[in-house]
Amino acid sequence: MSTAHTRTPDTKPMVRDRTALWLFLGYVVLVAFAFIYLYPFLVQLTTSFKTNTDAVSNPLSLVPDPFTTSAFGELARRDFPLWFTNSVVVTLLVTAGRVFLCSLAGYALARIKFRGRSAIFTAILAVMAVPGVVLLIPKFLMLNYLGIYNTYPALVLPLLVDAAGVFIMKQFFESIPESVEEAARIDGASTFRIFWSVVLPMSRPALITLTILSFQGSWNELPHFIVASQDSDLFTLTKGVATLTSGQLGSGSQYPITMAAALLMTIPVAIVFFVFQKYLVRGGTSGAVKG
Amino acid sequence: MRGAQSIRQGQARAGWLFVLPTLVLLGLFLAVPVLMALWVSFTDWNGRGSPFASGIGFVGPDNYRELVGKDGGLTRSDFMTSLRNNFYYVLLVVPLQTAFALFLALVLNQRMLKAVGFFRTAFYFPSVVSSVAISLVFLFLFSGGGVVNSMLDAIGVDGPTWFNDSRGLLHLAGDGLGLWNASEPPSALADGGMLGLTWWQWLAGPSVALSVIIMLVVWTTTGTFMLMFMAALQDLPLDVEEAARIDGAGRWGVFRNVTLPHLRPTMLLVTTLGLIGTWQVFDQVYVMTQGGPGKTTLTPAFLSYSYALENQKWGVAAAMAFILFLIIFAMASLQRWIFRDKDALELKRQERRTTKARAAAGSAA
Amino acid sequence: MLSSSRRRQASLAALALTSSLALAACGGGGFEEEGGSDPASSGDGPAELQVLIGSSGDAETQAVEEAAQAWAEESGNEVEVIVANDIAQQLSQGFAGGNPPDLFYVDAGVFGDYAEAGNLYPYLDQMADADDFYPNLVDSFTLDDQAYCAPKDFSTLALQINTEAWKKAGLTDADVPTTWDELETVAQQLTTPDQAGLVLGLGRDRVGAFLVQNGGFWVDGEAGEATATEPTNAEALEYVQGLLDSGSAVLAPDVDAGWGGEAFGTQKAAMTIEGNWIRGAMENDYPDVDYTVAELPEGPAGKGTLLFTQCWGIAADSPNQEAAVSLVEAMTTAEQQLTNAEAFGVMPSRESAQADYVEQFPQDAPFIAGGDYGQGPVNLPGLGPVVADLDSQLEQLKTADVNDILESFQQNAEAELK
Repeated sequence: MSTAHTRTPDTKPMVRDRTALWLFLGYVVLVAFAFIYLYPFLVQLTTSFKTNTDAVSNPLSLVPDPFTTSAFGELARRDFPLWFTNSVVVTLLVTAGRVFLCSLAGYALARIKFRGRSAIFTAILAVMAVPGVVLLIPKFLMLNYLGIYNTYPALVLPLLVDAAGVFIMKQFFESIPESVEEAARIDGASTFRIFWSVVLPMSRPALITLTILSFQGSWNELPHFIVASQDSDLFTLTKGVATLTSGQLGSGSQYPITMAAALLMTIPVAIVFFVFQKYLVRGGTSGAVKG
Repeated sequence: MRGAQSIRQGQARAGWLFVLPTLVLLGLFLAVPVLMALWVSFTDWNGRGSPFASGIGFVGPDNYRELVGKDGGLTRSDFMTSLRNNFYYVLLVVPLQTAFALFLALVLNQRMLKAVGFFRTAFYFPSVVSSVAISLVFLFLFSGGGVVNSMLDAIGVDGPTWFNDSRGLLHLAGDGLGLWNASEPPSALADGGMLGLTWWQWLAGPSVALSVIIMLVVWTTTGTFMLMFMAALQDLPLDVEEAARIDGAGRWGVFRNVTLPHLRPTMLLVTTLGLIGTWQVFDQVYVMTQGGPGKTTLTPAFLSYSYALENQKWGVAAAMAFILFLIIFAMASLQRWIFRDKDALELKRQERRTTKARAAAGSAA
Repeated sequence: MLSSSRRRQASLAALALTSSLALAACGGGGFEEEGGSDPASSGDGPAELQVLIGSSGDAETQAVEEAAQAWAEESGNEVEVIVANDIAQQLSQGFAGGNPPDLFYVDAGVFGDYAEAGNLYPYLDQMADADDFYPNLVDSFTLDDQAYCAPKDFSTLALQINTEAWKKAGLTDADVPTTWDELETVAQQLTTPDQAGLVLGLGRDRVGAFLVQNGGFWVDGEAGEATATEPTNAEALEYVQGLLDSGSAVLAPDVDAGWGGEAFGTQKAAMTIEGNWIRGAMENDYPDVDYTVAELPEGPAGKGTLLFTQCWGIAADSPNQEAAVSLVEAMTTAEQQLTNAEAFGVMPSRESAQADYVEQFPQDAPFIAGGDYGQGPVNLPGLGPVVADLDSQLEQLKTADVNDILESFQQNAEAELK
């Protein structure tokens, strides 16, 4: 490995060869990994158009034979449309709430001077350290106590704020030059007005990042929905689709149905992902804590 | 003067108003619930009515004693089994996901490489997909006659029935190496033990079924961590690397002496997030295995859930959650300590010394 | 499920509470004991009943729904039938939330837990013709001499035999096994490289039948004791272990099946031991597989099978108990039970319906015969994790030491029952 770097012209092609070799190896590795990463999604896509017999006997084949959409029909007959609707409603409410509340709090902690600010920030940091799974039972107890267990608010309210979101927004607001607000303040604008019409419009990148993280987080949430409701009318996609695997007596595994369900619940996040990819890629590095 | 004061007052009011909704919600659904659960963990509440009703028995530390105490029968061995499983899970997932993430980031960071965006997207995509959806896909991939086994079959390997295989990997490895016979464990290991499990059980390693979940999680999380490494690598000034090259360092040397030290903060972040995440594994277990086969995919989070909501043992379940919290906290602190920046410490010490010296010089002058 | 108006009220209350707390500026959160839905005295005005069922399929859902609506129309009440996805979890959240459904299925296996926690309203003595239920079914729903609820129906285990495989192996009707030795022999004869002779579902609820045939069982329900370490149990497990060891029997997961019926339907095994429910599965999923049903072979201590049953539980917290009892009466008439039998293959829990049933379903004779000598499941309270542990150990039955399994169950159960 000790190629002393010399400037004699005759060694140059060798160096270039080496670079080319590394590049080639790089591609080999990347293509191999891309296969590992994409193949499961291909299997998911094609299996959802297969019959169960075909899925079980030709798992490797990527061509459904015969081609059928009966898995989707079956999902439509079950409660899938209801779960989908619930997920959409919950996700929209949670996303809107999180973006608004987290930026409010983040702004206050970054810019407004008031007594208790640092104590609050410390408290929020401490809260971030509590692992979510530990809260499964406590959350149920609380929802139950408030008398909202098994209602729509139970699905939404506890997810409305997210300490990490506050943290992201605070970091961002601190990067905005203070002079911008000064001008507005001299004009006598209220704090909320400054926040709403001056600061927020400048915060598009952070807001989009937070929107995507909240959307993805609440769309994919499972444990909270498990403990927040029992009524099948309140099932969200994750909770509902999870029941498809518990093959009750009489129904063996129906792979096309589960694959179709997995496919359909992936589509909305996939769309958001591809449209806002560059923001997500940036934001993913700042706040995503996923097991 | 008065104007300034009223502005300050107005600011204070606005500040509180802005953070209030967040505080109330975090308080209602995080802080207070934790306190309620703490209370429940000291009672024998069986899940009927309010845990604060007068008839609920306060049992002191009994629930905790049942989990870790001297003679806690089945509950303790269930809990210890779940800790063992999760321990092996963490032990494999955290290094693997970190290593793969770093590796992919380094490969993607090569100059002249085309289509970086495509590969980055491909590797990151699983991280945004619901764990439920991915679990379903893996259930199919790893079913007895599924995709993976068909592939193995094609190269002449008889794959296991993944999700029904409770054999521990370490047991199998030892068997393969001739260290022991897995069906007749050496009595030295099988007879002794601690906390309700024999040494043999402690040393099982992750089961075949658990290793599928391990693969799944490494597969999904690598992308996120890869992005973090890529961001850090982009901050590494090119000329530093170049300079090192010119000084005659090989690729490996540059990596070890320049790149790795630069990545230390990211490494800390990635492993901390990894540790916190892996001790909480729940979704995959809930969807794929429900703790089976042979309890080898039981995790503390899932066990706590099932004790509370399926067996009405709320007190013990809450106690499990608090012990899990302590474990996560301890692990994260320990790891912070291991990763503490020794150079920075040294630098600080030096600074202090120079200030002192300067102060001394100043007073002498 | 909450009625929509009740739910809306609860939501509004929650929002009001949250906002009032917000206004109180984080005042430490004073939670008051919830008043609870004040039990509306049943009797005045029509009741709105919620019925939670764990359905075996559309046929069952539809049958229950129709019966419930018929009752509702006649009595002037309202009924809503909800199909649970995970009835145990949904019920326990309902109990803890103080808003359980009024009426729901209770499996004999969890009955003890519910009854002991005070979640069930004992009503059987209020029913007009309670004596007509099979006594061994009522026993499954009795705790401390108090019979709680009316058995809905029951099913038993029997032996299913794949007709084609049977013929191929050169076996005739005369070869249907009636003893353990004969079972072993035919299982061996039926075993081919592609097909195991016998497949067993996992867990205590299949293997347990052999214990009964040898005169033992995991527990003695009446005495409230664990009896796993009786030597008869070890013998029975060793017999099953022998079958597994020889390769003529397999456990369902070994052949990549979720339960015995799936392995039997996909013809990975020529025989299985399942209950009446297999009929529906075979009709729907594997209509091309011909099979016959026989009583389980006798063991050294005579005939034995397991008996599965569920009852109609009424919540102790239900404000509509009187109406619920009346609905149960309607649901458990001999006539209704025969309708159910036809719809989804369960057997009537009333003795007065037996003759009609046998006449209607002669092929089910082996199942109904089991009603006379069947053993109910483990229904002692608090044993949930203990029997789960037993099941997980039984996964390894092929290689495990049977005495270890039985002893650890005994120990765990004793610790829980003392």
